[in-house]
Amino acid sequence: MNKVRYDGAEVILVLAMAFFGAFFIFPVLRTVGEAFYVDGVFTFRYVMDVLNDATYVEGLGNAFQLGIWSTVVAVLIALPLAILADRFEFPAKRLLTTLLLVPLVLPPFVGAIGIKQVLGQSGALNSLLSAVGLADMNHPIDWLGQWRFGGMVLMTAFHLYPIIYLNVSAALANLDPALEEAAENLGCPPGKGFFFITLPMALPGLFAGCTVAFIWGFTELGVPLVFDFTRITSVQIFDGIKDLGKSPFPYALVAVVLTLTATLFFFSKRLVGGRDLSSSGRASVGRRDARPLRGVPMRACVAFFIFIIVFALLPHAGVTLVAFSGDWYLSILPSSLTLQHFQEALGHPITLPSIANSLRYASLAMILNVVLGVAIAYVIVRTKARGREWLDVLSMLPLAVPGLVLAFGYLAITREGELFRWLVDLPPFIPKDSPILLLVIAYAVRRLPYIVRAAAAGFQQTSASLEEAAANLGAGPITTFVRITGPLIAANLIAGAILAFAFSMLEVSDSLILAQEQRFFPVTKAIYILFGSLGNGPFLAAALGVWAMVFLAVSIIGAGYVMGKKMGALFRV
Amino acid sequence: MVSITIRNLTKRFGDMVALKQLNLEIRKGELFFLLGPSGCGKTTLLRTIAGFYQPDEGDLFFDSDDVTRRPPHRRNTAMVFQSYALWPHMNVFQNVSFGLQQKRLPAGVIESRVNKALRTVQMDAYASRKINQLSGGQQQRVALARALVVEPACLLLDEPLSNLDAQLRLEMRSEIRRICKEAGLTTIYVTHDQKEALSVADRMAILENGDFAQIGTPQELYRDPISRSVATFLGESNFLAGRIIEPAKRLGYWAVETNAGTFEGRITDANWKPQYNDRVSLAIRPECFHMVAEKPYASFVQGKIIRSAYLGELVHYWLDVDGLSAPVQISCLNPRQIEPAGDKVYFAETRSEDVIILNN
Repeated sequence: MNKVRYDGAEVILVLAMAFFGAFFIFPVLRTVGEAFYVDGVFTFRYVMDVLNDATYVEGLGNAFQLGIWSTVVAVLIALPLAILADRFEFPAKRLLTTLLLVPLVLPPFVGAIGIKQVLGQSGALNSLLSAVGLADMNHPIDWLGQWRFGGMVLMTAFHLYPIIYLNVSAALANLDPALEEAAENLGCPPGKGFFFITLPMALPGLFAGCTVAFIWGFTELGVPLVFDFTRITSVQIFDGIKDLGKSPFPYALVAVVLTLTATLFFFSKRLVGGRDLSSSGRASVGRRDARPLRGVPMRACVAFFIFIIVFALLPHAGVTLVAFSGDWYLSILPSSLTLQHFQEALGHPITLPSIANSLRYASLAMILNVVLGVAIAYVIVRTKARGREWLDVLSMLPLAVPGLVLAFGYLAITREGELFRWLVDLPPFIPKDSPILLLVIAYAVRRLPYIVRAAAAGFQQTSASLEEAAANLGAGPITTFVRITGPLIAANLIAGAILAFAFSMLEVSDSLILAQEQRFFPVTKAIYILFGSLGNGPFLAAALGVWAMVFLAVSIIGAGYVMGKKMGALFRV
Repeated sequence: MVSITIRNLTKRFGDMVALKQLNLEIRKGELFFLLGPSGCGKTTLLRTIAGFYQPDEGDLFFDSDDVTRRPPHRRNTAMVFQSYALWPHMNVFQNVSFGLQQKRLPAGVIESRVNKALRTVQMDAYASRKINQLSGGQQQRVALARALVVEPACLLLDEPLSNLDAQLRLEMRSEIRRICKEAGLTTIYVTHDQKEALSVADRMAILENGDFAQIGTPQELYRDPISRSVATFLGESNFLAGRIIEPAKRLGYWAVETNAGTFEGRITDANWKPQYNDRVSLAIRPECFHMVAEKPYASFVQGKIIRSAYLGELVHYWLDVDGLSAPVQISCLNPRQIEPAGDKVYFAETRSEDVIILNN
């Protein structure tokens, strides 16, 4: 297939590269640089010190374990679900498979508020156990203390399994069904054929999902914070903010994390990139319908789906109950229900402004994302502009860089006297210390890979000859995009945009670090601050969390309906 | 090697009846073609025989074995898919050996049989290649080897040549026939390419809207079509409306009156007895007309050339004939010169064996 050479491609490419250079490479290098250039001298000392420091090494070990175990648990959950949904027909399948995705956008950090209420020493579980005589409320079991690491793994895994589920579903859906039929035809029983033929070909999809999930778990900040688990790298870096500019250790730690994630990322892209088998195209022959399940297997299958959904949403149910509870202490369920917290939240000086702030930041970030994402995907898929391979790699790199690292970088490049100081101090447009531009850029950069993937998938599924036909009939590039390409990739774009918006609304690392003044707080920072404050703070935090969860659940269900199985294309390396 | 018997086979997809009460007997070692326009049900029938579709009614026998409810992996058919369905995570050797592994044969036997199969399709030099390193024609041959190596009860081919270029298609046609005949395989071959079917088949069936329009040898179907649709689908035909006047001297032949004159023709549908004055259609192939210098007595058309098309091995003329609404197409094999369109009147004669009388 001949790709048409477009004149604007190089311009877009240069602009996109410049954007990445300024707001991704530069801040990351600045952050990493702090670890190597200390007082104007280049040194490996601090990195070596970090690697020799027992506390930091333990933190890295714990982070690594959190990443590995939460990925393993997520695979154990997601793989059977994806296979069941691909193979069989059962009641309420559409609803169940959509609800499965909801945990993805509900931040574990908010859910952890609920988990504490359920699993705390004076929480619901202990109350339940003592009610049936299995525990003694005078000597309550410290679930979170004893099972802290396991709890963190479960929280993270039940947050991340949708990424793997989406990847595997997409890989299975893209396979030519004739490949498995050919095996059956040659005498291979159906179950065996699935394991020897279909599963190996879905492996790249599974692996791509695992990479994203592992990096996510490895650098997870919200969950350890709420579980009060400080012996983990992400929290050690976060605590490093307190003596920012004084100690190079947090930066050295960042450099180490970045090296690990980037190595893994490139390794996995190499491994997967060479063998993307699922895109070998589908035959025209109709797929055999998913087999309807009946009787006991059907009930077991539906029960499994419901169990996973309920379990994944348990913390969030906890948060919801907290938000509505008048009093919830030493009892299985709240002793009374009230709307009081929602009313009080309306009057609290932090809550309403934070919602308005988040909506503003997230919408702007979404617009920036869509414009950049479409332009980049266009250059990568449709043109032969020199350097587009580099742009491709660059646009995926934010997946490999933990939010913390970038957040630190943004702080570094906007300090007094730095090159990008104007981002936070540009009267009369940007009031002093307003993080609006910085947060919009930060949100956009972090979520750009998903939008680029979504748009690129759309471009790939839309034959270039459709555009050439329009050009042939006299339509210019812009008309062609508006009339032909745009409508054809709209589903991908809408889903990508909704996800980018949802993720931005609940972004944790950038929000916690970059918003320092109360009137500029986004929702997540407001929840974090309220949760830590005395009085009715936690209840208000829960009320705010419920609001955010409802909003995001609606978003992800909407995106799921628009995209269907194609949504897996968004979460690839 | 088995014979295949299909009895009252019906397959529905929702409200759409894809196969209607089909009956068919395919003999041992026969190379049988299913031919028809797209959407006629030929692939559905093939996939039902392979077991990928369950028929709603009817039975399917391999020899005297009822296989109607048998799952695909226990039918011992071997199918070559239109998309080839070669597994991209395995190399050529692994693809071809898969079926033998399912039969749990010893490794040595597998290796020698795979190598033999690869030699048959002239792919033995590519055993360790990845699938995506092969050209379309090579992939097609690997798919064929993968199916042949298991020595199946029957071979099922689903438009196996449709992705190849014209030259390669010609080569592979005779190649497939040679291989099937050497192995004595019962083969069902689905295609929409009539040249492929006519040149390779022992017998063939034309499917139309899920029903058999006609079953027979290539020559029977081309020479003796029993319906207008068969005559249209295979090759080209002129259709002349007419009325039966009387039986001709030869048994089975009748005289038919048309607006272009009287023709003598024959009946191909054994189940039909025409009556005097019945309205009928005559089907006459373009190459069955011959230009003659003098006006014949009967079974001819006369008219002016309005258009011609030169195809190399033959030339087509369209004659405007008085009394006929459509021009009559006639063809001449490799003529020395091409007659010009104009006012000159030409006579084209046909023999009564070449005039088919169809019951409208």
